[in-house]
Amino acid sequence: MGEKWRLLDTDLNDAFYNMALDEAIAIARSKNLVPNTLRFFRWSPSAVSIGYFQSMEEEVDIKACDEMGIDYVRRRTGGGAVYHDRDGELTYSIIVNEDHRLISRDFQETYRTLCSGLVSGLRRLGVPAEFKPINDIVAQGKKISGNAQTRGMNVVHQHGTILRKVDPALMFKVLKVPSEKIRDKLIKSVEERVTSINAVLGREVSFQELKDALINGFEDSFEVEFTPGSITDFEENLAQRLKAEKYATREWNFRR
Amino acid sequence: MGRAEYKVKGGKLIKVQLTARNRKIEKIKITGDFFLHPEEVIEDIERALEGHMLDEHELSSLIEAVMRNKQAVSLGVTPNDFARCIMMAGEKNG
Repeated sequence: MGEKWRLLDTDLNDAFYNMALDEAIAIARSKNLVPNTLRFFRWSPSAVSIGYFQSMEEEVDIKACDEMGIDYVRRRTGGGAVYHDRDGELTYSIIVNEDHRLISRDFQETYRTLCSGLVSGLRRLGVPAEFKPINDIVAQGKKISGNAQTRGMNVVHQHGTILRKVDPALMFKVLKVPSEKIRDKLIKSVEERVTSINAVLGREVSFQELKDALINGFEDSFEVEFTPGSITDFEENLAQRLKAEKYATREWNFRR
Repeated sequence: MGRAEYKVKGGKLIKVQLTARNRKIEKIKITGDFFLHPEEVIEDIERALEGHMLDEHELSSLIEAVMRNKQAVSLGVTPNDFARCIMMAGEKNG
């Protein structure tokens, strides 16, 4: 029997709960209350997440988001701003003990190892995916996934986005552009630099098909076996508290 | 107030916003899409920088010392890159 991990599919939730649940799982893992975990989730309403070190006002067009009913949240991980489209994007999280064989002291190496599960899963779909340091996965030279990692309490937490379909024009409605004059240029440059699973394969790939491929990819490359599970009461209660006291607050989201 | 952006080649973007008087940093905010672990160390770095002269080499050493002290590691940026961006923002402070 292979090593067992928990598989969670929490599907659609709001941005604040999504980020709170990631942290709650990491805390539960650090207390040994839950096994190593792979979680899939999506965002409803669509949302923008920004990296720990980014400025909300500088990165996000707050007014446009408010008008379109799009949430915005600061992550506990570094990295850049991401638009999480409700119907275009899948997010995953890996929460694993820091002393696990997959984890190196070196962050760059750990990105490569943890991303190898995604690369393997995407290749199963026929997407010619490759890891691109520091923290991206590319296909046909264009970015298809961005990933971010943090550590604490002896736990490694990596989450990332996988683009199933992409709309650069919408992306730049919610992200700040330095000036209106270069908006079109930026949209064009994103079209040249970013791609999606549907675009690469020239067909519509469902979320289920994508998740199934990724699960197989992770199992293969991590040499683990996933057991579908659910979140514990501890995690749910803590997530609700972290949402109310941290991720949904102005202090957290606008702190930088 | 001075602002600057510095994209590290093959790395990440750093943005610095600062106020300085007589080339001494009074207030500074470092943002960007880089990685620094543990994340909270960015606030220790900012605090350490306040009151310091705009000298690239010294700022770099100072940031390195704070990071060493906190056992922090960065990815996509180095203490040197932070210092360079701070100097660029310092030049625009006026």
